[in-house]
Amino acid sequence: MRRFGLYQLLPFVLVAVALIAWEAAARSGLWSKLLFPSLASIFRELILFVTNSAYLMEAWVSLERALGGFALAAVVGIFIGMLMGRSKLAAGLLDPLFSGTYAVPKLALFPIFIFVFGIGSLSKVALVFLECLYPIVIMSYQGARSVNRVLLWSAQNMGASRGEALRRVVIPASAPFIFAGFRVAVPVAMIVVVITEMVSSADGLGYLVIYSLSSLRTDRMLAVVVVTALLGYLLDKAVVLARDRLIYWGKLDTYYV
Amino acid sequence: MALAKASLLAAVLLAWQLAALHGLPQYVLSPLEIVRYFVQALGSAELYEHIWASLARSLPGFAIGSLLGAALGLAAGVARSLERLLSPAVFLTYPVPKIVMLPIFMLWFGIGDLSKVLIIALACFYPVFINAYYGVRATPTILVWSALNMGAGRGEIFRRVVVPSAAPMIFAGMRVSLALSFIVMFAAEMINARSGLGHLIRIAENSLRFDLMYVSLLSIAILGYAGDRLVRFAHRRLLAWQEQPA
Repeated sequence: MRRFGLYQLLPFVLVAVALIAWEAAARSGLWSKLLFPSLASIFRELILFVTNSAYLMEAWVSLERALGGFALAAVVGIFIGMLMGRSKLAAGLLDPLFSGTYAVPKLALFPIFIFVFGIGSLSKVALVFLECLYPIVIMSYQGARSVNRVLLWSAQNMGASRGEALRRVVIPASAPFIFAGFRVAVPVAMIVVVITEMVSSADGLGYLVIYSLSSLRTDRMLAVVVVTALLGYLLDKAVVLARDRLIYWGKLDTYYV
Repeated sequence: MALAKASLLAAVLLAWQLAALHGLPQYVLSPLEIVRYFVQALGSAELYEHIWASLARSLPGFAIGSLLGAALGLAAGVARSLERLLSPAVFLTYPVPKIVMLPIFMLWFGIGDLSKVLIIALACFYPVFINAYYGVRATPTILVWSALNMGAGRGEIFRRVVVPSAAPMIFAGMRVSLALSFIVMFAAEMINARSGLGHLIRIAENSLRFDLMYVSLLSIAILGYAGDRLVRFAHRRLLAWQEQPA
């Protein structure tokens, strides 16, 4: 296999082609500047974004909502998952609930959440929590179920109590699964935040997208899209980094189970 | 255990209904009221029009996205150069919320159904692509060796070893994609549409028609659930030879 030349450059080809095609479309004059703003103007708006504290505040608002909902879902989700994995009764009661409503778009609850939790951040955090809960519960349940029985027996044999066995055997053994659940949940958190902000909000990145579109500033809108994309990418990287630091004994690269 | 499950569900519904007798906030309807409004709505043509409009967006989007995802994911799993070309771009953009592209899609493809179908297809592409790719990569080498040993050609190995071995993963990806297609469809309709269940819930919200809100909610829930059952049923029928996970 060739290990140099074009082959090395292949990963960048698609991105480069896309960017060149974009700039060509922008400069051709066939379409309005509104449809294809030039890369230079998008970049200018991007610089404006990262140097303007008001814009950065909007990004922070979105990030706060996403992370708040995700953190809540992580705590509650791991707890429920462990409970289901270690107790037949809990699994019997909760598993139909989670697998039955798994494919139901929880987003449809948003209008009701607005009435219950108000139009501010709380309704959005609640929806993020609910959407993130599913992958985390399902994956930690699967992790807790697949703990090697021999390890548990050994722990019990050496006199570990139930709590100790949970802390020192079950949780470390299911950690790779839990992180796989996190990796599904983090993009979900970003998706839900952006959607809810686009639907009804006066702040956050989703609101900025809709607002820039309404004021016909497509270049600014695309700059916000780039910022959202970067945030989503960095959050995913952060999860991967934390996983690689915390659990060196097992990685699970399956995205969806 | 089945009895315990049923009694838990019954207890929750009963408590909800009793709470409603006691007086609930205006925006929480009792289960009986929800059922009554839903049956009422099933008798009118309006609900079916919205359901049809929603399905006409989500299903083509799901079909296009998952077909492309499966085809390219399988190809990237087999062909190294294609993998090097595609996978960095795919894995880079995977954690990005695709719905944020909806406004620009609306500018490019109009505010009609096309932009919504395409954004749904984009969102559905990723889970299927990634799963198909990993499915191919996880093909047991020993199966490929056996096939080679028995004189299979490259095409035959792909068709009769690689694809069947990646199929369960592809179905898992499709299950995620289908759920995603309903979410994106609903979001797109809430943001901008003149029909569909997402639009219906927006009207209901703006005019404080809580009955319509719950009708829309229940419809999308039933659709999501039924779609998921359908994918799982197809999985079981088509891959009957595969050991079913518990």
